[in-house]
Amino acid sequence: MKALLALLLIAAAITEPKGFWTGPVNDPVPATLQGGKVIHTEALSALLRQLKPVVVDVSDSPHRPENLPATTTWLPVPHPGIPGAIWIPGAGLGVPPANVEQFYKERLAKATGNDLTRTLVVYCHEKCWLSWNGAKRAIGYGYRNVYWYPDGIEGWRKAKLPTQVLQPEG
Amino acid sequence: MGLNRFSVCAAVLMLSALHPAFADDEDSQEPAARWKQLQESIFPKREVLDSGGIITVDAPPRALDAALVPVELHMNSPVKGVYLIIDDNPAPMAAHIVFGPKADARDLKLRVRVNAYTNIHAIAETSDGKLHAATKFVKAAGGCSAPAGSDDAAALADMGRMKLRLLGDFNADKPMQAQLMIRHPNFNGMQMNQITRMYTPARFIRTIDATYDGAQVFHMDADISLATDPVITFGFVPHEKGQMKVVAQDSSDTQFDRSFDVPGAG
Repeated sequence: MKALLALLLIAAAITEPKGFWTGPVNDPVPATLQGGKVIHTEALSALLRQLKPVVVDVSDSPHRPENLPATTTWLPVPHPGIPGAIWIPGAGLGVPPANVEQFYKERLAKATGNDLTRTLVVYCHEKCWLSWNGAKRAIGYGYRNVYWYPDGIEGWRKAKLPTQVLQPEG
Repeated sequence: MGLNRFSVCAAVLMLSALHPAFADDEDSQEPAARWKQLQESIFPKREVLDSGGIITVDAPPRALDAALVPVELHMNSPVKGVYLIIDDNPAPMAAHIVFGPKADARDLKLRVRVNAYTNIHAIAETSDGKLHAATKFVKAAGGCSAPAGSDDAAALADMGRMKLRLLGDFNADKPMQAQLMIRHPNFNGMQMNQITRMYTPARFIRTIDATYDGAQVFHMDADISLATDPVITFGFVPHEKGQMKVVAQDSSDTQFDRSFDVPGAG
């Protein structure tokens, strides 16, 4: 009961910004997303089985320097994600680079077969605004069934659900 | 935000108190799997043994600045060289040091960048070619993308300036410690310029050679996990009078060198 109260307190505390969030990425997030739906772990697990949505991970990825010498061992830690998810780092930034935004739009179009009614799920980490932004951006593109999964990969793993190592795209 | 920051924090605290840290089985297996992956990549077909007391590694368990984490290596028996590996950094190999005849290879200190909570591995290679690993867990995050400084241009202008400080008392033919400081932004290519929103290209110290009167003290191969303005504390054995020469080369093939009188100018 106390936990619920605390949750409600946080939910009440954070109101949705009008545009994209440009503040610190790892900060408490709102409980809502206008134009989209909020989904939690159990419901998401069921949704994945039933609706086969397009799942997008917008977590950060370490930037591989273009001019790294051949002697450097570039070996980022494997990135576990929800199986089948498309990982598009940068798509949830408040102000993404133009090429990343373009890629995100095109990649969503390809993954949904240009169907704006296809169900989309956007996530990153818990207490992370990237997925909120990423989901909001998809709604802006005209997608009508956008789910935001604020529990993130941490919530997914806490429930002992399977993961798959993802490779970044874009 | 509708509510003030304090209330939000209080609520978060309440929540954390009610939900004790979740123990995830997978999390305890991941560091071991990562280390296995690194061993296979960095030391293919070689066995990495336990430290066996030959080497220990020390670092603050919770670093104040993830971009400047001090690491100390202590070698308790003679070694040819040491490797320093930051397991969860995207470029995990921070440095490989080979000691020369003029070295006192018992203690070495340097500063690294740490990207995420990670194990740090220090590997000693003994004269028989065997590898011995010591490990330490460090809580620091964000060191790889942290901006190097407020002004990239100023950092580049000052690049290559060196200082050598002798630590402790000087006694001819007795081992002593010296601290070498090299001004270099050591751009790792993962830092975004806050104004242009572009990544600053990688440019970092790749090798450092220290010789004392022409004899090698150490050779170091370094990589992007080494912190800005490298500071290396090492041991050597001085004569009555001599010269320490330091030659550093960066990834743009620019060479910096300087000679220091020992004992004498710093």
